Amino acid sequence: MAPPAQSHRSPSPSQPSGKGEVSDLKMQLRQLAGSRAPGTDDSKRELFKKVISYMTIGIDVSSVFSEMVMCSATSDIVLKKMCYLYVGNYARYNPDLSLLTINFLQRDCKDEDPMIRGLALRSLCTLRVANLVEYLVGPLGSGLKDGNSYVRMVAAVGVLKLYHISSSTCMDADFPVTLKHLMLNDPDAQVVANCLCALQEIWSLEATTSEEASREREVLLSKPVIYYLLNRIKEFSEWAQCIVLELVSKYVPTDSNEIFDIMNLLEDRLQHANGAVVLATVKVFLQLTLSLTDTHQQVYERIKAPLLTQVSSGSPEQSYAVLSHLHLLVMRAPILFSTDYKHFYCQYNEPFYVKKLKLEMLTAVANESNTYEIVTELCEYAANVDIPMARESIRAVGKIALQQYDVNAIVDRLLQFLEMEKDYVTAETLVLVKDLLRKYPQWSHDCIAVVGNISSKNVQEPKAKAALIWMLGEYAQDMQDAPYVLESLAENWDDEHSAEVRLHLLTAVLKCFVRRPPETQKALGAALAAGLSDFHQDVHDRALFYYRLLQYKVSVAEGVVNPPKQAVSVFADTQSSEIKDRIFDEFNSLAVVYQKPSYMFTDKEHRGPFAFSEELGNLSIGAESAENIVSAQRVDANDQDLLLSTSEKEESRGPSNNGSAYSAPSYDSSAPLVASHAQSELVSLDQTLPQAPQAIDDLLGLSFAVTPTPAASPPPLRLNAKAVLDPNTFQQKWRQLPVSISQEGSVTPQGVAALTTPQALLRHMQGHFIHCIASGGQAPNFKFFFFAQKAEESSTFLVECIINSSSCKAQIKIKADDQGTSHAFVALFQSALSSFGMS
Amino acid sequence: MAGATSALFILDIKGRCLISRNYRGDVTSVQAERFFTKLLEKEGDVESQGPVRYDDGVTYMFIQHNNVYLMTASRQNCNAASLILFLYNVVDVFRCYFEELEEESIRDNFVVVYELLDEMMDFGYPQYTDANILSEFIKTDAYRMEVTQRPPMALTNAVSWRSEGIYYSSNEVFLDVVESVNILVNSNGQIIRSDVMGAIKMRTYLSGMPECKLGLNDRVLLEAQGGTTKGKAIDMDDIKFHQCVRLARFDSDRTISFIPPDGSFDLMTYRISTQVKPLIWVEAQVVRHARSRVEIMVKARSQFKERSSANHVEIELPVPCDASNPNVRTSMGRAKYAPEKDALLWKIRTFPGNKEYMLAAELRLPSVTSEEAVSDRKAPIRVKFEIPYFTVSGIQVRFLKIIEKSGYQTLPWVRYLTVAGEYELRLI
Repeated sequence: MAPPAQSHRSPSPSQPSGKGEVSDLKMQLRQLAGSRAPGTDDSKRELFKKVISYMTIGIDVSSVFSEMVMCSATSDIVLKKMCYLYVGNYARYNPDLSLLTINFLQRDCKDEDPMIRGLALRSLCTLRVANLVEYLVGPLGSGLKDGNSYVRMVAAVGVLKLYHISSSTCMDADFPVTLKHLMLNDPDAQVVANCLCALQEIWSLEATTSEEASREREVLLSKPVIYYLLNRIKEFSEWAQCIVLELVSKYVPTDSNEIFDIMNLLEDRLQHANGAVVLATVKVFLQLTLSLTDTHQQVYERIKAPLLTQVSSGSPEQSYAVLSHLHLLVMRAPILFSTDYKHFYCQYNEPFYVKKLKLEMLTAVANESNTYEIVTELCEYAANVDIPMARESIRAVGKIALQQYDVNAIVDRLLQFLEMEKDYVTAETLVLVKDLLRKYPQWSHDCIAVVGNISSKNVQEPKAKAALIWMLGEYAQDMQDAPYVLESLAENWDDEHSAEVRLHLLTAVLKCFVRRPPETQKALGAALAAGLSDFHQDVHDRALFYYRLLQYKVSVAEGVVNPPKQAVSVFADTQSSEIKDRIFDEFNSLAVVYQKPSYMFTDKEHRGPFAFSEELGNLSIGAESAENIVSAQRVDANDQDLLLSTSEKEESRGPSNNGSAYSAPSYDSSAPLVASHAQSELVSLDQTLPQAPQAIDDLLGLSFAVTPTPAASPPPLRLNAKAVLDPNTFQQKWRQLPVSISQEGSVTPQGVAALTTPQALLRHMQGHFIHCIASGGQAPNFKFFFFAQKAEESSTFLVECIINSSSCKAQIKIKADDQGTSHAFVALFQSALSSFGMS
Repeated sequence: MAGATSALFILDIKGRCLISRNYRGDVTSVQAERFFTKLLEKEGDVESQGPVRYDDGVTYMFIQHNNVYLMTASRQNCNAASLILFLYNVVDVFRCYFEELEEESIRDNFVVVYELLDEMMDFGYPQYTDANILSEFIKTDAYRMEVTQRPPMALTNAVSWRSEGIYYSSNEVFLDVVESVNILVNSNGQIIRSDVMGAIKMRTYLSGMPECKLGLNDRVLLEAQGGTTKGKAIDMDDIKFHQCVRLARFDSDRTISFIPPDGSFDLMTYRISTQVKPLIWVEAQVVRHARSRVEIMVKARSQFKERSSANHVEIELPVPCDASNPNVRTSMGRAKYAPEKDALLWKIRTFPGNKEYMLAAELRLPSVTSEEAVSDRKAPIRVKFEIPYFTVSGIQVRFLKIIEKSGYQTLPWVRYLTVAGEYELRLI
């Protein structure tokens, strides 16, 4: 009888050892295998522990497989656990050897100790060896019927494991039926939860091939099952509660009473200490009330406090996850969190990923009442902390400015940034000033005065440089030395590494040239020469294009690079509302963190249950093709209009989504959203600005025959492109004037489709010099007020246009200063409408 | 549906895998290691940081604890918030088992770690993460255990967080009311944000299945009882309870009744967002003589009643990173230069209420500086303190009734404490 291996120097697990030690182990294990002496178990434990340590640090100990199995005949549970662990790790690579283990695992599945039964069953199922599945069916079947809940709990997940190894074996043994029975009857909540998980996965994977399976999947969402689970909700562990709540959020109640019953039942879950449960409950509340607008708003109120606590109490990682969700909600209902903006102030020590999200939140909640405080806070970040943070803060300030709240103060702040004379601050600010000027050209005077003082030598970042050059070109008259700055830039063409900057330089030089020819001639010559020999294809092409244009006719070139421009009223959103809704449907998942629907980042086979695969297929195709169109448009846009080509990529992306950013999703007719929508419209439109009709319409991708509607005899009436009317005068006139013409028309389906973004109509009408002063309403009823002015005199026309998109009817009321011309105007108005799809 | 996790990894500080549990077999540890080392290489790049990362079809979520990282990997659209919480729960469980979770404790306990990982998650679905329950069937000192290990009692029990048959010879309950004050003051001296995060922590050493009832001076409750408010009543914004509290009962009549788990746990947490006066106010004046020295004058004032006093006050005063040779005088306490934090740490052991202390410091600045080196890293002044026997919100435990069928007497002990949380004054 060999003594227990006391003499053996125990190698520390942290020091990897060679082959010799493994064979040593093998020897000792063999000696102990048959031993019955007292104390054997202790020495076995020592050895097993060593084996496990080796295994963990990556030493291959598979050679002791048979010895381990021999030693496994023991009643000692710790030994057994280690043995299971070892077997589970190596069985997959040694399918032949693992046959050896089946025997003792099967025997253990019948052990009198429930703990051993459970562990053995779990190990048996984790072997993941396909040719051994036949041995699994028996133990699993009895495991599901075991008297001890621990064993049943393990067995329920075991069925799922079996399904993943061999789905046919699992289905043939009718395990799903047993699971369902167990789910609806087992007294132990964890067993129920595990059955639910397993069934969800199995049915949704099966659903692609079997009708019965998809029916079964629907049964999980049926009233009896949902009610059964809800009634037991308090028995579940916190994680199981999350799973149940996720299921409930998919449930479609039959009436509002049911909705309120469920919400009353789950109300207290919002006070649960586990944030995951709180978020899952929030999802249930939000999904259930989608159809009840008022209640949906109340839900937002109710969930606000718990969510804000989650943000400030947990770990930074947790705050990050919760903030991502809050961000989604804030985008849907900005007004709701606008008083809580202080919760999103950054702490000095927070990690950047949290701060960045907080900045996005601050941007999203900014409105008239809090902009001043928020921008003040942001300015502190811009001046105080680290560089990435400063950059983000400046961008946030800019975004707020573009949301058109209190622009006045913000412009001042931005200009102060330029005076800070830090390169990165200047760079970020320049990009912003450029965007700002595209939206509010009226600020050009103030901005240009400051921008003019910036030496182009201090600006190195391509984006910032491009912005500066764009401003030099655009405001060439106002900047004294613009031609000379451009000239020196053009002369140092080869030092400029960014193609984007060179493209801008070309355009800017040409713009400057058409305004100040004598001074710019030299710069233009240098730029064109350099551009023509540029190795970058786009730069080369643009230079050649300009060269030929100029050769042809300078006035045409002017028309191309310097057409009258319309201020950008809303920068295009990067995401379509469809995608946003999709993300909202996937609330409380990674989709929200990534801000992408799950089909964009998961493989097909790993998509969760209930993600209807057919539908997903269609959608992803749809999304792809949409992307194609968008990119095609982007190319168009770049070629057609310099205004857009100067913008950053994301701004020009998807012009067809234009305006959808602010339009409420079709089913969510939340009042604050619409209100803010209408407001922004008013603000943006009463600053009337130069028009560029064709360009804008083409960019919109609305392919109506915009070419000045020649079919109808060209109307003798000409309208003023730069008509101005302030809302008060409009109201006054509307009250005073009689209705001169009132008409009804119909709307084509295309027109209705286009109306999902009312902005499209507004832009379209603007293209015909008919301006919108106010609009509002929600599907299906839209109401627009338009006005137009005669080109020669200040006689105005006022229009009220009510469109019902469900009955496809349009109602028009026209009032005019000069009653005589109102018929001519109606003809014009209708021709404009008809090209939009209405008549 | 919250997707399932593929695998869980514990990595060392360099991103090497210490131990892993592959639940579904579709993410290998090699893959995970490769991702993580790649991530660590980009450490300086803040933009690429974040606890949830996507790489090659796999989503990784990780947290750091001491010198180890815990990371999950998943190919499905799983529930981010819940997995991060799960990881924190795993940390808690390990800490219960090994006192502290660090590389060494993992290395010394591979077997137990494996056992725990197996019980806490099965095939990617979280199972039990309550250390109390787990400790019933996974023992660290299993070597000496002669008793057979039972499957978790709690599973068959109606009260899952407490097992039956607990016995103590003297039954005691300790109740700690801890409030942490978060304050943010901007450079104009305005309080731009303040709130209080409170927690009622319990340690119970009670036999049997005790039924507890806790009374607080909660305004809603007191008003509901007919306005018999003698002292102050408080409004709590957002209350969260341990799972043992009967929430339905609380919702109907604001009674906090529960059967407590054994040992220590957080009974409830709450948030109060009413404006609070900064308990310790700090004013600082910095005079910077370029290229020679910087002078700092600081005044710290306690703004609470004389009968309380703050302990272990530590005021962190940021100084320029190129400063040296500090010369500090204080009217109380001791100040130390901490170059690793670019700060002066002013420590005052006890700071009685309504007092004011001063600090004057002078540090030398290098006479030669490169232009870029002058960074504007304007860190805030941070303050740490503890004020015992005092809650800033005025919350009070009015009673704690404990009823057990054997009818034993219990001794409840209540303690109050206010500490500084995120306490930042951007004054310099």
